[in-house]
Amino acid sequence: MLRTAGEVRVLWGRNMVKTVRVPILLFFSLFQPLIFLLLFSQVFAELDRLPGFPYDDYLQFLIPSIIALTALNSAFQSGMGMVTDMEDGLLDKFLISPIHRYSILVGRVLSDGSRIVVQALVIVGVAYVMGTRFETGLAGLAVIVVLAALFGMAWAGLSNIVALLTGNAELTMVIGILVTFPVLFLSTAFMPAVLLPAWLDVVSAWNPITYIVEALRALVNDGWDWGAIWESLAVTALLAVVTFTGATAAFRKAIG
Amino acid sequence: MPLVAVSDLVKVYPGGIRALDGISFEVAAGETFGFLGPNGAGKTTAIRILVTLLKATSGTATVDGIDVAAEPHEIRQRVGYAAQFIGLDNDLTGRENLVLQARLHGVARAEAERRAGDLLEVIQLAEAAERRAGTYSGGMRRRLDLAQALMHRPRLIFLDEPTTGLDPQNRRAMWEYLGGLNDQGVTIFLTTQYLEEADELCDRLAIIDQGAIVVEGTPAGLKAGLGGDVVAVTIPTGEPPELLARTRQLLAAVPGAGETKAYDHSVAVYLPDASARLASIVRELDAAAIPVEKLELAHPSLDEVFLRYTGERLRVEEVRRPSRVLRGSGRRGRG
Repeated sequence: MLRTAGEVRVLWGRNMVKTVRVPILLFFSLFQPLIFLLLFSQVFAELDRLPGFPYDDYLQFLIPSIIALTALNSAFQSGMGMVTDMEDGLLDKFLISPIHRYSILVGRVLSDGSRIVVQALVIVGVAYVMGTRFETGLAGLAVIVVLAALFGMAWAGLSNIVALLTGNAELTMVIGILVTFPVLFLSTAFMPAVLLPAWLDVVSAWNPITYIVEALRALVNDGWDWGAIWESLAVTALLAVVTFTGATAAFRKAIG
Repeated sequence: MPLVAVSDLVKVYPGGIRALDGISFEVAAGETFGFLGPNGAGKTTAIRILVTLLKATSGTATVDGIDVAAEPHEIRQRVGYAAQFIGLDNDLTGRENLVLQARLHGVARAEAERRAGDLLEVIQLAEAAERRAGTYSGGMRRRLDLAQALMHRPRLIFLDEPTTGLDPQNRRAMWEYLGGLNDQGVTIFLTTQYLEEADELCDRLAIIDQGAIVVEGTPAGLKAGLGGDVVAVTIPTGEPPELLARTRQLLAAVPGAGETKAYDHSVAVYLPDASARLASIVRELDAAAIPVEKLELAHPSLDEVFLRYTGERLRVEEVRRPSRVLRGSGRRGRG
């Protein structure tokens, strides 16, 4: 057990060195959420005047969604890193060393989580400068960042499934975008539930992203809504079980 | 007890390709043993089964008496492996790559750093140690990759085409380094498609073709098995074919002569201890009034051994790894 923790730490450390050394890895998944933040906060600024819109300010409503979007985007980098390791012959190097197979996946996803923490903090900083106020203060910010990172890690399992099954970085990215966008817009990320059409309201209730966005939104705007927080943690855990079961199976298949 | 014992190993890939068709061989501790064969012969498949990266369809393989399929974890601690395609992290420095491999093999940080420092000296990368591996030339990458396989100090290393893609100078340097390693008691199992390499490095080798071992022995033994040296007589062009036949008869009649072969204008004969008979052959040719354009004496090479046992010349091909898509970073060119 202790041995396995050591392996994971070594692999995590190696991924983090890469992230620091190739900063594009850090900013790659940050550009698009930042652009969305700047665009949506202007284009949809007047949405908050709609009758029934539950928040006074669209920006306050939007920020948690942008943090969730960042986590999703970043998660899909995970599989691309896996493909790079396969192509560079590094996966083989890991596989011939006497480490637990699962450590490779865990080390990767933990470094994804670490990257998401940094990225979420960047979004929070930009949001603060734009005038967003965080109701739960610094403690709330810490929880926001951790929730986003955990959700991103669960989502990264999905990215690794695609990566391991296709062995193709391009496909991993394209499929990531194809999955992320509908799932994102079919949630309450950009429109409150009360303003969604009835059928979408039902769909969004089955969408894991809705739960993470609602929890983050509560922490930014309303205070410590423990119900929403535990709900998002439960949904994240459930998602993680599904994606990691899949990723482990895909991993076994890929390494023969 | 042999260090490596392989018995009736078969590998059939999904899709029905029979990469290994029941090979058996042994490698003794301290040996340098080689698989010589063309691309697609099954060399890499065999090595990947031995280092636990691939499962055999049937048959057994043991290292140090440990079954590779039953206890892969034990095998991984004991052996080193440098693949045909180099495995380096381009974003890490040479030193970091070495330390990473050692740490993954459970070597403590300080000890890993110490070993990396020592090995970087040996492979002459000390000056480039703090540069990213992505900036290294082909020869440097090869050396670093080999060093990675040595960081946990295995007594047995598997090298899959250790010099493919290297220029002659780097190839020679690698041979010297591998020779030194073997002198220190490290058993080396290598594959190669270069005849000179097998000749230079291997104590024993097996020629492998289409998933089967066609012949096995020491380089000298295999060459001697051909029937000794080769004497070739070339007659001037334009001479009648009848002259070629007479030349062949004359050479076949030399005491101890083996098989003869006639080509367009020349005849070759296998002859043990040919140097001692050369003078008398010249006298006999002269006495028979056979005009000689060229007289050659050759010690047989593994090339001829290969030709004899597989019926074809060894074709050397370089296989490229499928190109990396979307990485788009030309600066990380592999040299």
